[in-house]
Amino acid sequence: MSSSARLGCVDDHDHALRNATYGLFARLGRAPTAAEVSTESGRPEPDVRAAWERLHDAHALVLDAATREIRMANPFSAVPTPHRVEAASQTWYANCGWDAFGICAALHSDGRIETTCPDCGEPIAIEVRHGKPDDERLVFHSLVDAGHWWDDIVFT
Amino acid sequence: MNLFRSEEHVERWLRGRSPGTTIPVTTLARLAVEWWSDRLSPEWRPRTRAESQAILDDLGLTGSFWRLPDA
Repeated sequence: MSSSARLGCVDDHDHALRNATYGLFARLGRAPTAAEVSTESGRPEPDVRAAWERLHDAHALVLDAATREIRMANPFSAVPTPHRVEAASQTWYANCGWDAFGICAALHSDGRIETTCPDCGEPIAIEVRHGKPDDERLVFHSLVDAGHWWDDIVFT
Repeated sequence: MNLFRSEEHVERWLRGRSPGTTIPVTTLARLAVEWWSDRLSPEWRPRTRAESQAILDDLGLTGSFWRLPDA
């Protein structure tokens, strides 16, 4: 999902906090708290939260609508989803089937994707080696066109 | 945005609803590599809309369904 051309209000300090947030996510295997990003970056927690809000508005990450904690650092999901990925000696959750492959790509790692077919409920397991799936019979379906991906990113 | 066992499973799942679009998992995997490989890089910077659109276009993901919105 593109964050293109929406980051005009995000400055280099926000980019640095974004990178610290993503780096911690990969290192911890889960979404970091604002306090953890504050410690990592040396910036006060209110500054971290303010930057997260700007990054959310810029589609560079997604905050939970109620708690304002990290909900998505695409392709990673902060909450369990039907798209589970084993990669780089960790278990991750992806926001969608695309993001499941994206986690392997972001980590530059082989991996295993586990999900279920929404039609029949049968498990789908895919081994990803050098970015390629071992079962080429599968297909990917998107209901939402690219022009509307960010209208409701959690639904998308 | 889900993975399905086959196009027949997509059609059955839709149950007459308007379909979006279906692509082979091999194309999806290539798209993921192009789209996400830089996300953990310290040098990461957001792509422009044109750069993102070029990734889609280069994979043959063209037409109105794959047209990113203007900023």
